[in-house]
Amino acid sequence: MLSRRQFLHLSALLAGGAALQACSPLVRRLADPALPLEQLGELAASPSPAHFQALNRLTFGPRPEERLRVKQIGLPAWIEEQLAPEALDDLPCQLRLRALDTLALEASDLADRSDKLFDNLDRQTVPGELRQAALIRQVYSRRQLYELMVDFWSDHFNISVDKGDCFFLKTVDDRQVIRPHALGNFGDLLWASAHSPAMLHYLDNQANQRGAPNENYAREIMELHTLGVDGGYSQQDVMELARCLTGWTIKDHFWRGEFVFKPALHDPGSKKVLGMEIMPTGQGEVEQVIEALARHPSTALHLARKLSRRFLGDEPTSVSSNQELTQRAARAFLDSHGQIAALLRVILLDGLAQAQPTFKRPNHFICSALRMLGADTDGSQPLQEHLASMGQSYFSWPTPDGYPDSSSAWMGNLMPRWRFAFALVNGGIKGTRLDLQSLAAPLQDLLPAAQADWLSLLLLGHPLEAACRTQLLASLQAAGAQQDDLPALLTVGLLSSPDFQWR
Amino acid sequence: MSTPLSRRSFLQTLAALPASRLASRLSFTTSRASPAGDTLVVVFLRGAADGLNLAPPYGEPDYYNLRPTLGIPSPGDPQASPAERAIDLDGFFGLHPALAPLLLAWQDQRLAIVQACGAPDESRSHFKAQELMERGVSDESGPASGWLGRHLASLDTGSASPLRALALGERPPRSLSGGIPVAALHSITDFHYLGDSQSLAQLRAALAALYTGPGALCQLGRDTLDLLHTLQGLDPASYQPETSLVYPDTRFGQGLKQIAMLIKTEAGLETAAIDLDGWDTHFAQGSVSGVFARLAGELAAGLAAFYADLHRQMSRLSIVVMSEFGRRARENGSLGTDHGHGGVMLVMGGGVLGGKVYGDWPGLGQGQLVGPGDLAVTTDYRDVLAELCAKRLNNPAVSEIFPAYQPTFPGIFVSGG
Repeated sequence: MLSRRQFLHLSALLAGGAALQACSPLVRRLADPALPLEQLGELAASPSPAHFQALNRLTFGPRPEERLRVKQIGLPAWIEEQLAPEALDDLPCQLRLRALDTLALEASDLADRSDKLFDNLDRQTVPGELRQAALIRQVYSRRQLYELMVDFWSDHFNISVDKGDCFFLKTVDDRQVIRPHALGNFGDLLWASAHSPAMLHYLDNQANQRGAPNENYAREIMELHTLGVDGGYSQQDVMELARCLTGWTIKDHFWRGEFVFKPALHDPGSKKVLGMEIMPTGQGEVEQVIEALARHPSTALHLARKLSRRFLGDEPTSVSSNQELTQRAARAFLDSHGQIAALLRVILLDGLAQAQPTFKRPNHFICSALRMLGADTDGSQPLQEHLASMGQSYFSWPTPDGYPDSSSAWMGNLMPRWRFAFALVNGGIKGTRLDLQSLAAPLQDLLPAAQADWLSLLLLGHPLEAACRTQLLASLQAAGAQQDDLPALLTVGLLSSPDFQWR
Repeated sequence: MSTPLSRRSFLQTLAALPASRLASRLSFTTSRASPAGDTLVVVFLRGAADGLNLAPPYGEPDYYNLRPTLGIPSPGDPQASPAERAIDLDGFFGLHPALAPLLLAWQDQRLAIVQACGAPDESRSHFKAQELMERGVSDESGPASGWLGRHLASLDTGSASPLRALALGERPPRSLSGGIPVAALHSITDFHYLGDSQSLAQLRAALAALYTGPGALCQLGRDTLDLLHTLQGLDPASYQPETSLVYPDTRFGQGLKQIAMLIKTEAGLETAAIDLDGWDTHFAQGSVSGVFARLAGELAAGLAAFYADLHRQMSRLSIVVMSEFGRRARENGSLGTDHGHGGVMLVMGGGVLGGKVYGDWPGLGQGQLVGPGDLAVTTDYRDVLAELCAKRLNNPAVSEIFPAYQPTFPGIFVSGG
């Protein structure tokens, strides 16, 4: 634990903006990712696999202290804790982000920073730091449910940094749209997203002008962001909303990258969207539509279904009870005037029992390995390349529907996962370090079977089935594995195993 | 649950299952034994490719009225330089000049174009349209599996190759789902493992032990181990294509090259799926240069290299190029095009009656366009694919592959895959 004095000292340092040496002992101690291995004994005594399964959905892979916390206070109380993320101290994670100074910059500064004098445009640094931050937060933040929601909304309001100026505008979108509202009010989130230069640029709205409409953004607001494809809108509604959106664009020169409404580009006629007469009020027209969309019953149901799929899996045990659940969640959303936590509370508290195994998406797979093993990473390029080889570079999904959620979408390719497991354990990822020696210290005097059990308790939440364990150890022995190699080989094997691919 | 069902209780179970589920279940049990037909390569142009500019109807005056800036100049347009004119195909349709590399296959009569082709879905949503098209169904109610998956599941070719179905990319496309296991690979080099031979052997031993169970994932793990073995020795960097044409140095071009390698190693490849993304050209699409022309050029260069490289295998190859829908006939105000309806399909291969543009031309005039001003669909994409399955892939079970649809064969293929 941090003493009060140390804490004050550190707060002063942070508040003063003093340059923190990443290697200062205090910072290192604070950000130490090592596992509380001594606590694993307590878990071994009663592993509660149900808690492990639940936590596998509520975190990017449970660490032992999270498993113990749930054991102490119970799952519902733990979920409530997570639904109020501001109350959870997250200093160690924030310290790890200190070096990523583009995260806090305004759009025009980001543009300047990327525009190297006498050099090519640098399109790597800004999105690179954003990707690093995303990974660091998913691995080290104690606000795990919040980070899962950030991940969810980053897909829901997908923006690819590979399109034009999105490479720097997405950093602002992440900071000002997704993160402030991820567990807040959906209406605020949608409002912020509609005013987000990154979104307007990504969906071509800067080209949507009076007399020359471009439907792209108008369609996706209704199809993807709110009502859903069968949510009750027509092609006519798309075209009318596109007219409302004319003139919503981005500043080019002064304050480059800021939102601006240009009345001269706006179609001034009256419009009709979803049966509503829209009075010609300029910028107010879209805002009127957005407010209606945010509280539309189809939106509530669309979000409830998507969140149910994200947290409970794409094939619920009972279709009818899942329908009942999503309807109830949608109702809670509408009753609370769009509170995301209200919807999520129903899905999680009432739905986790009917959850089905879900194939981990690549970021979940990688983060869970790092979290469960207590690895140290700066989230830099070599690790990001592993994520890319699995098909999920952060903020790089080209189309506006976001990275797919279903298990089947990700189940085609195990090879990159096996390669990652091998590289992680064998020190083959620069910037990412697994302290295998400390991890294996408690295993030194154990028999091979007990070693396998210990590691699978850590990674799978339960010991391996006896037959599987026997077969695994026998094949390793037959292939010439030495006793000293066992912890590394077993770790690679378990990370690569079928069980570890599911959450 | 492992007790075998009696025939009677089996029938009772069947009666209790919803019909759509039944169809997908049964497709696994009724596969017929037959040797594999042509090796099929499906190229999906994601984002809705503009068929009106890939194969412009330059003989239609409305085309130039609707596309004053984006229209491809006609083959005889004296105002455009020759390199910027459409290449005449049949006196009415032309080819985008960036597709010129495909002329060889066209002149060999091994390339056909189907204009005004597409699906009945009118959602104009990429995601819904792609999903329905890859599932090969008219609406949400059909089976959840993909048309290629059902084709492969309903044809027992006696092959145990882990490469019967291959997707280039991280994820298999929906079209391949629900049948046999699909190998997805980003690159053959994914399989060139790190580590020395001893640690590799130990790791393989561990994985073989861990992936013994039932279930799709364990099957995938075993297939992946087999693939690891098969692909260990293949190196795309040292591959010599049998042509002077160069595969583009893009994911698409290199993907095609690796498909060519795998076809030549005779590793049992029956179906390969590969995507070319980026066709959602709402903004600054360009006419004879720009985003769209670059994509068209990449497509053509890749297919032309593939065609030349595999000339000895071409009699047993079919290549299909498709997209979820076409684009609005009238260009929008951002020098781009919005979502439309009818599009274009390309079909290439030894069994193709090529050198011809297929499909009834619905016209671009008032009253001829549909919805918000889109090209009508006169050939359902399933007509083409069903004929392909029946005539080239040795699979006449088109009613299983495309349930609840009665195809009319357009006559694009000769029989005998």
